[in-house]
Amino acid sequence: MITQSNYMEYRTPQFRRLSDDQLEHIHHASLEILDRTGVCLYDQEALDLMKKAGVKVFEGNQVRIPPGLVEWALSIAPKHITICDRNGRRVMPLERNNVFFGPGSDCLWVLDHRTGERRRGTLDYIEQGIRVCDALPNIDFLMSLCIASEVEDQKVADRYQMRAMLMNSTKPILFVTPELEGCKDAVEMSEIVAGGAEELRRDPSSVCYINIVHPLRHNKESLQRLLYMAEKGLPSIYCMVVSGGATGPVTAAGGMALANAGELVGVVLAQLKREGAPVILSGGYAHAFGMLAHGGTGGRPRLQGARPEMAHYYDLPAFGLGGATGAKVVDQQAGAQAAFSLLIEALSGANIVHDIGYTGRADCYSLELLVICDELIEFVRRFMGGVEINEETLALDVIDEVGPHGHYLDHEHTMKHYREEWYPELFDAHDEYEDWVAEGSRTMGERAAERVDEILAEHQPEPLPPDVQKRLDEVVRRATG
Amino acid sequence: MTDIRQVIASKLYQGEKEDVAQLVQQALDQGMGPGEILSDTLMPGMDQVGQDFKAGELFVPEVLMAAQAMKAGLSVLRPLLTESDAMYVGTCVIGTVEGDLHDIGKNLVGMMLEGASFEVVDLGAGVNPGAFVDAVRERHPKLVGMSALLTTTMVNMKATIDALEEAGLRDTVKVMVGGAPVTEVFAQQIGADGYASDAASAVEIARSLIA
Repeated sequence: MITQSNYMEYRTPQFRRLSDDQLEHIHHASLEILDRTGVCLYDQEALDLMKKAGVKVFEGNQVRIPPGLVEWALSIAPKHITICDRNGRRVMPLERNNVFFGPGSDCLWVLDHRTGERRRGTLDYIEQGIRVCDALPNIDFLMSLCIASEVEDQKVADRYQMRAMLMNSTKPILFVTPELEGCKDAVEMSEIVAGGAEELRRDPSSVCYINIVHPLRHNKESLQRLLYMAEKGLPSIYCMVVSGGATGPVTAAGGMALANAGELVGVVLAQLKREGAPVILSGGYAHAFGMLAHGGTGGRPRLQGARPEMAHYYDLPAFGLGGATGAKVVDQQAGAQAAFSLLIEALSGANIVHDIGYTGRADCYSLELLVICDELIEFVRRFMGGVEINEETLALDVIDEVGPHGHYLDHEHTMKHYREEWYPELFDAHDEYEDWVAEGSRTMGERAAERVDEILAEHQPEPLPPDVQKRLDEVVRRATG
Repeated sequence: MTDIRQVIASKLYQGEKEDVAQLVQQALDQGMGPGEILSDTLMPGMDQVGQDFKAGELFVPEVLMAAQAMKAGLSVLRPLLTESDAMYVGTCVIGTVEGDLHDIGKNLVGMMLEGASFEVVDLGAGVNPGAFVDAVRERHPKLVGMSALLTTTMVNMKATIDALEEAGLRDTVKVMVGGAPVTEVFAQQIGADGYASDAASAVEIARSLIA
């Protein structure tokens, strides 16, 4: 071992979209929006919390939030949130630039991987899809994929979706519920599985994903869910969607500043409800409204990679979006958009990259794309892994031993390390054209569809104990009435 | 008790050369004949390796470790094998043709052939037709294997075959060719007897050519 000095190594690629100055610039713009224009809160408790903090309410439900209050909330919001799996294992530490991947939720449609047909989402599809998520090594968390459209009372479909996720995988869950009652039931179901309210708070395995459609108009249902989760000490994702040119400026920076302002409202309210309440930010989603062409989910290059940096500027966990496409089928566009977005989100260090497997107008789920993304993520993870340089990996003794005339094919050093390289499973790895033809001349999409069926035939998730299942059923039954 | 034949085959598959050598000795001590050990344990073991390599279950280094284990086993048997035990299935002269220094594929084929009980005479890379002719004259192989990686050098395969023809040796050997730009059709055009697209198929082709 030779003593060295001032040696620095990169364990990951280095990537920045926005400088510290630019991030601070957007932060101040967001503070200015909240202080100057203010926001409307359509919930009495939220307004009361603001009043108690000395904020004046005008026009019935509008508040201008002073910068000091925002800075206070940011100073006490937890910088470290660990999400656990169903068994309480602390699998997703949301800190710094740890990156985790998972699907999206509540698609109206699904693409049938066997027939290619687009049909309504069903509970059966969710159960099967969650089993696929459970089996895929690079999928870290769950979302519901699609809506259980066959549930007669659509107001309680979320309970069926939550049960399907809890029953078919041990991975952590990001749940979406339209109303407060559904949120309470989702938390109750998670508590049943965790073994109690305190157990769930200590090892949170479920996160409530709250999506606000206008950053300056916070609807009642969203605020109620945010405050409920805060009161429970459970994490929520408070995420704005700005349609550039429709619900916000068409320019990227303005859209981002506006969306970020809306998210800061969530941080303030959660901290007013319970100091130290865990909140996850997206950094300000702003996509272009369909002035010309929507470009599909994740189709706006200008902001990709910038949003997680905004959340990281606050040292708060960052919600991201990747592995999705605007394409209507799993085609070349789908592969390209999925690959770009997964790589960019990973480079920017988004902690929770969701929407993997979304197609079309973010309204149609594809398990085929999910499986392809699992392979793409493997590539991304290896790319992010850096290059190890040391005596063993430089192998100077081996190079000298083999010399100019020998080869490394059967060297012990090769044997020891060749498995560290990546051997793709879905990408075509045939050397010979003839070998590819002999195996049916299949495209990547066809191989992915087969992989879905293989997983469904082989993979059985760890079951929940019967008494736990029964109690989950009771929650669903109670809601159904 | 597990059959020693199975143990040898599985150690061979895992590329444990010391174990294979030791177990072959043990089998001899137990009274198994050297020819029997070769045909019932080592050769079927290597065949399995070849099949699994072709199926994508084994990787190149694993195949080579197995080939080395095979060699270790053979070195124990060699002094004891009689002519009738067919220690080698045949001799094969191999080389990368003139003007081409790409030898990794050729080395791989050589090691696989050794693992399949061929005696391999490796002439190296950049081998001119005359050197192939001399080797055939001196070593009397059953097979000549030529490799090329470049479209500019693969023509030298034909030159080598022509040289063997001129020397009156062409009928004494079978010629097989391979390498990235080489195809079945090209092999036929230049008058080769066989073509293989990878090292595992090369063993199959070699066996079929001398059968």
